[in-house]
Amino acid sequence: MQKRLKRIGGFFSSMRFGIALLVVLAAACALGSFLPQGYALDWYLNRYPARTAALIYGLGLDDVFHSLWFLVLAVVLCCNLLLCNLLHLPGVIRRWKNAGDPAAVPECPEVSLDGVPSPKEVFTRMHLPAPREAERDGRKMLFSAKSRIGVWGAWVCHLGIFLLIVGFILGQATKTEYTVYGVPGQTKQIEGTDLSVTIDAFDIDHTENGSVQQYTTRLTMHRGAEAQSGTARVNAPASLFGYRVYQNSTGSAAKLTVTMDGNVQQEEVVCVGESVSVLQTPLVLTLEAYEEEYYDAGNGQKLPGFAYSTSYMGQVDRAGVQVAGDTALRYGSVEISFSEPQNYTLLQIKRDRYTPLVLLGGLVTLLGLLLAFYLQPSRVWALETEGGGWTVCGAGPRGNAFFADLLREAAGKTPENREKQEESR
Amino acid sequence: MLQMESGLFTATIMIYVAAMILFFLFIAFKREGLARVAIFVQAAGLVIHTAALICRGIGAGRLPMTNQYEFATSFAWGLSLVSLIFILRFKFPMLGAFAIPVTILIIGYAAMQSKEVRELMPSLRSSWLGVHVSTAIIAYGAFGISFVLGIIFLLREKMRDSEFWNRHVPSRDKLDLISYRSVCLGLLFLSFTMITGAIWAEQAWGSYWSWDPKETWSLVTWLVYAVYLHLRIRRGWRGKAAAIFAVIGFICVLFTYVGVNTFLPGIHSYA
Repeated sequence: MQKRLKRIGGFFSSMRFGIALLVVLAAACALGSFLPQGYALDWYLNRYPARTAALIYGLGLDDVFHSLWFLVLAVVLCCNLLLCNLLHLPGVIRRWKNAGDPAAVPECPEVSLDGVPSPKEVFTRMHLPAPREAERDGRKMLFSAKSRIGVWGAWVCHLGIFLLIVGFILGQATKTEYTVYGVPGQTKQIEGTDLSVTIDAFDIDHTENGSVQQYTTRLTMHRGAEAQSGTARVNAPASLFGYRVYQNSTGSAAKLTVTMDGNVQQEEVVCVGESVSVLQTPLVLTLEAYEEEYYDAGNGQKLPGFAYSTSYMGQVDRAGVQVAGDTALRYGSVEISFSEPQNYTLLQIKRDRYTPLVLLGGLVTLLGLLLAFYLQPSRVWALETEGGGWTVCGAGPRGNAFFADLLREAAGKTPENREKQEESR
Repeated sequence: MLQMESGLFTATIMIYVAAMILFFLFIAFKREGLARVAIFVQAAGLVIHTAALICRGIGAGRLPMTNQYEFATSFAWGLSLVSLIFILRFKFPMLGAFAIPVTILIIGYAAMQSKEVRELMPSLRSSWLGVHVSTAIIAYGAFGISFVLGIIFLLREKMRDSEFWNRHVPSRDKLDLISYRSVCLGLLFLSFTMITGAIWAEQAWGSYWSWDPKETWSLVTWLVYAVYLHLRIRRGWRGKAAAIFAVIGFICVLFTYVGVNTFLPGIHSYA
């Protein structure tokens, strides 16, 4: 049983399994980017043959990145990384210790150069720290090593990716997200919370050329008697009550006025796309769009126009455009009109406690990559020979053909140098 | 300033073409002096290219990295820069003969894009723009070089007996190692790109990762190169297999850049 568990553990922590997971994840990501995501079954049935659509829907390919199997892949990758790091930790510590230990130099080094008269210069030319004196088999030895920390590169990188994925999964599972929109002066309750938001001001800054430079919402968030104020701009969210408030987008809004026999019965701001019940009856009015320069064929002028539609008991009733100063609809003595066009602000309110973990994971991954790629450990040692000369040896990054060249050059043992030496002799 | 940029951009293309011809003459006539001149001409092209980008930046009043034209010309600049660094660092002029045609293809793609200067939308008015896009340029440039090295490696297999090739192209081990180093550089900078992009997206859109096609394909590219690095360790995938993988990896890079914009529009449609 123990053997079997060990074998299973070995398989799950293996690089072979890790590579297979990376390949499957890459394929899943590619698939998710090609297949249109997030539509209803009918949409896929219209677009693909019935069997393909059923397959897409059945396998969760309509929402790859939020499907259970994709989550399982990510969790399994996490396990692979964690097990891999745990099992390799003793080996990494050993290699790290050995990299700076003169007694641990290999018997058969990658490079061995005989007859070097002055080994200290070799260490200097190789940009190594001043060598330590040691002894090996009764012979004097000079040893120096650099970039030992590079041994940790892959390990740190794996740890970073592990933290990143764990943070991402936890964040997705626990984050809370709300959307609030409105015009200055309005207070909106955030559904499902004890919070409400008052929009104090909303400004749109323009450049000299007239294009939008920045959207700014000043807001106050309330929790019971407590209140916190802040400013949300694009690229600069506000932080209130542990929530981040993002300036998401904007749109048009207008004041809706409903009068009966000339008396105002209902007055409120309606945003484009928003529907309101008229005088609490089954008649529902929707502000469909606002056009600043709507061409009114009646008087041949360009005037602000409000496009609207109404429905009664769920059935579409009327649709049309009301130009500024006119009345949109009349139902007997009831008159409905839009006026005072303005901009509303749309805010996204979010809390994801695990974002810092994801950021930490990203930074640790970068550190790991830097260590692995640019701080590869190398060791150089020189052994005194009986004749008084030195044999210089070195062990560089695995498979690094340039390390041997560098060491030969530092020791003056390049083929060209050798030819010159022989000629001078 | 923008007119000057247009002139400098055209001059850059012409100088790169001249450098390419000189590199080809170097191969045809096997004269090392021609390689030295070609490197010098490419370096001059890079200087003019840099000046063109600076003029564009001054003319537009922002970093020239926000639309298809600007990113393509910056990508070509990154490729030219990384290739020159590798040529000089590894004393490998033959690399220029293969890298400069790719640079010309990319700058040619830039020439086909609209050069109109548009005002930036508010979300792009961020100091993260410079960090995020410039790291992407270096990453793409480095992956471009690994692709070129992969091609050279595969050609070297066929030219094994040519004395000229043996003299001017590093040994297979070294060629493989240079390619590996360019992949390492690319992967490091791609990781920087993704992380800085995530931080920026969190500030601008409230979500550090949205599975937007550009993000997704950056991840696919990252995964492909991660597989490449693991296969090198696990199975000793070096030489020919690694060269083929480097070519495949760059196809992913190109798809992330051009393919995603063409076939899979998303929130990165401007880049």
